[in-house]
Amino acid sequence: MDLENKSGSNGTNERYKSGVIPYKQMGYWEPDYVPKDTDVIAMFRLTPQPGVDADEAAAAVAGESSTATWTVVWTDRLTACDLYRAKAFRVDPVPNTGAGTNTEAQYFAYIAYDLDLFEEGSIANLTASIIGNVFGFKAVKALRLEDMRIPVAYLKTFQGPATGIVVERERLDKFGRPLLGATTKPKLGLSGRNYGRVVYEALKGGLDFVKDDENINSQPFMNWRDRFLYCMEAVNKASAATGEVKGHYLNVTAGTMEQMYERAEFAKELGSVVVMIDLVVGYTAIQSMAVWARKNSMILHLHRAGNSTYSRQKNHGMNFRVICKWMRMAGVDHIHAGTVVGKLEGDPLMIKGFYDVLRETHNPMNLENGLFFEQDWASLNKVMPVASGGIHAGQMHQLIHYLGEDVILQFGGGTIGHPMGIQAGATANRVALEAMIMARNEGKDYLAEGPKILDDAAKTCKPLRAALDTWKDITFNYESTDTPDFVPTPTTSL
Amino acid sequence: MMTNTDSRLTQGQFSFLPDLTDEQITAQIKWALAHGWAVSVEYTDDPHPRNTYWEMYGMPMFDLKDPAGILMEINECRKTFPRHYIRVMAFNSERGTESPAMSFLVNRPANEPGFALDRQETSGRTQRYSIRSYATDKPENERY
Amino acid sequence: MTDNFNGIELDFDSPVDLQSVYDDSNVQEVLNRLDHELIGLKPVKTRINEVAALLLVDRLRQQMNLSASMPSMHMSFTGNPGTGKTTVAMRMAEILHRLDYVRQGHLVAVTRDDLVGQYIGHTAPKTKEVIKKAMGGVLFIDEAYYLYKPENERDYGAESIEILLQVMENQRNDLVVILAGYKDRMDRFFHSNPGMSSRIAHHIDFPNYSPEELLAISKLMLAESNYRLSSEAEAVFIDYIKIRMQKPHFANARSMRNALDRARLRQANRLFQSRHSKLTGADLITIEAEDLLVSRLFSEDNEDENAESV
Repeated sequence: MDLENKSGSNGTNERYKSGVIPYKQMGYWEPDYVPKDTDVIAMFRLTPQPGVDADEAAAAVAGESSTATWTVVWTDRLTACDLYRAKAFRVDPVPNTGAGTNTEAQYFAYIAYDLDLFEEGSIANLTASIIGNVFGFKAVKALRLEDMRIPVAYLKTFQGPATGIVVERERLDKFGRPLLGATTKPKLGLSGRNYGRVVYEALKGGLDFVKDDENINSQPFMNWRDRFLYCMEAVNKASAATGEVKGHYLNVTAGTMEQMYERAEFAKELGSVVVMIDLVVGYTAIQSMAVWARKNSMILHLHRAGNSTYSRQKNHGMNFRVICKWMRMAGVDHIHAGTVVGKLEGDPLMIKGFYDVLRETHNPMNLENGLFFEQDWASLNKVMPVASGGIHAGQMHQLIHYLGEDVILQFGGGTIGHPMGIQAGATANRVALEAMIMARNEGKDYLAEGPKILDDAAKTCKPLRAALDTWKDITFNYESTDTPDFVPTPTTSL
Repeated sequence: MMTNTDSRLTQGQFSFLPDLTDEQITAQIKWALAHGWAVSVEYTDDPHPRNTYWEMYGMPMFDLKDPAGILMEINECRKTFPRHYIRVMAFNSERGTESPAMSFLVNRPANEPGFALDRQETSGRTQRYSIRSYATDKPENERY
Repeated sequence: MTDNFNGIELDFDSPVDLQSVYDDSNVQEVLNRLDHELIGLKPVKTRINEVAALLLVDRLRQQMNLSASMPSMHMSFTGNPGTGKTTVAMRMAEILHRLDYVRQGHLVAVTRDDLVGQYIGHTAPKTKEVIKKAMGGVLFIDEAYYLYKPENERDYGAESIEILLQVMENQRNDLVVILAGYKDRMDRFFHSNPGMSSRIAHHIDFPNYSPEELLAISKLMLAESNYRLSSEAEAVFIDYIKIRMQKPHFANARSMRNALDRARLRQANRLFQSRHSKLTGADLITIEAEDLLVSRLFSEDNEDENAESV
């Protein structure tokens, strides 16, 4: 019988005898399994407890993230349990770990899940399985979700980005160059009136967007309603002053969904083109806001507040590329995804992988960039990555080289901290950007000639000259913790 | 007169740089043609930021090998509409984009009056904003 | 020693290296190719070599700051159909590209229908679109005399010619125009369009092929598709060529290709009929005399037939 074969050496009756047996023997380890096109596949980096062999640990992860509990239950036999059991089908040792290295042995475990295990269009349901109990499971010392292959059949049950890169550009009437933004600083403490001043100056000076910070919601120093009113005054004034569409990401993050909707509705009423939420509002709230955004022709910006608590360490948690995949499914239009050269964590190859996940219609497998699976995006819109944190005009050539053209470059300090004022800071960034794009299109080796291109552009732009002089030596040269496993780690800054 | 940086409309990819020379325009068109994008020339005397549909100076040009033909159209458009805004656009027909890939100005009027911001105060300190091109106070073709 | 020539600092004695300019351009490769793929056409090849020499020397002079106005390269190719005009035009585009005269080196081949419209306002955009596509390369207008129809005053062809003339004069750097067609009709066309005539710098006449040349061309065509003529067939084919040349609608190499296509058909039929006897590889590649002799050209009652179908 088929069932017997799948249950290993134990006969059917043996398999369901009360008691505790290894997960491998429960049917969660199937090295011959060929995943179906409709399976969800997850790839974990696992560090087994001493004495637990890697196959058993992988089977345990498969079991705990699908149907298993710690002991045999007869009620399994009331179900098509072979189908519902997740199957660990491949375990590879991680390069440069284990005996003879400084790192304890780690393994890449591939686990396939049948499509029937998941509710359509629900990140919450997907994640409750894949990263539910299993991360606290004692048989593994550490566990990290590295990548997932989402089948087209499942992707098609998600709305995807409310607006997407293409329509965002069409609405903003901005093509062929990265967009420019800045986060209002100081993050906390400005009154609504003072806050709007920063927005106005930056937009008039040449930025496309200004942004609320993640922890600006509705605090004693500035009620959300005041912020929205003053910011929209600034946006509209700047738009009239320049003839360009401008925007401010109004952060609608709040304590309840009802409050978030109320704030988003007000932003819409005031004519904003974009609203913003934080990752910490949760997957369901994010999906709700994405639906709201699509319904109201609004761009949805996501700040990845909190992600580093689980994405940064290499042995435990989850890789940010998985967050990128989930957020593309959940339906955000913007997501902060690293700068390579700025102040926040980011290895160039890893970041290339994140950006590809967000922006391509199809990702081929690419181990160097940490993409363990081929992924077809099933015509889900493309997400605009946002690069922010410690970047300035003097790095423009590197930013364009690493991040490409479909990206929002956010120069917060690099705009507001400009010695000649905020408008001048914005102008410096815009001139640097346009000069670099022009040089790139002219076929110049802009990465090598970058500093010269910027110097030349600064000849007719004093603010750029001042920016280059002020920040000329600023780099953040720390080693990344999240690095590729398949190539030597390059340095972060040039 | 506009009061922003350089006192001019900042739509398009290169409006913060000095006006492009014909040589620079040619280089940009080359980039578009190298990608297989169709290029078009459009003009308007109403540069309102929400005025999406500028007039087409002929249809987008497909299958061209060399920028000279497009530059020829640009110069003819400039000759016909010397005081209009003229932009060059490139269209990418690849799946996943199917949208403009470039847009930059190649002509602007000598004087750019800019825009008025009209406000209508409503309840709860809310305002309705409306942006109006000063140029559109006059009828089409009599502006600038 | 350095001297002053027309206000230019020129070292009269310093050696100039024409050979290296020539080598750098890789133009020899194209000329060789032209020589291989086109049998005969001696006068044409000579003219093309002259044009190449002119452009090479021009390039060298530029390197010495001896500026001169860019030589005009618009041409007319006259000759009967099938004498290699289009092929030579394609190679010409490549030569002009390798010598930096045109930027892209592609050839856009058109006829009147591509340039002239059916109603008012239709012609200018049509002609301009073709011109824009050809820019950076060569515009080849076959049977160019159809652009001009003196019997119809309101013919839109004149409008197309006007636009072409403007571009030929003002945008020499962007476009080379080659007009092609029968010699006598082109002569009449130039006679009634002096503006066009004066802008054509090079008139190249393509002679008809001799029977021997046509045989060589045919053998080349056959070899390209892995066929050969038996020696009896070759003797028959030379006769065929001589008769064919006297018939109406003779189109040189093109008529050869058509005749060979029909011979292949007959060969296949012959092999099929004899499929029960033993066939060899040699049978598959060989055209026999009988494959040619069945041509109606060799029977007497063909006077009224359309020659192209014999």
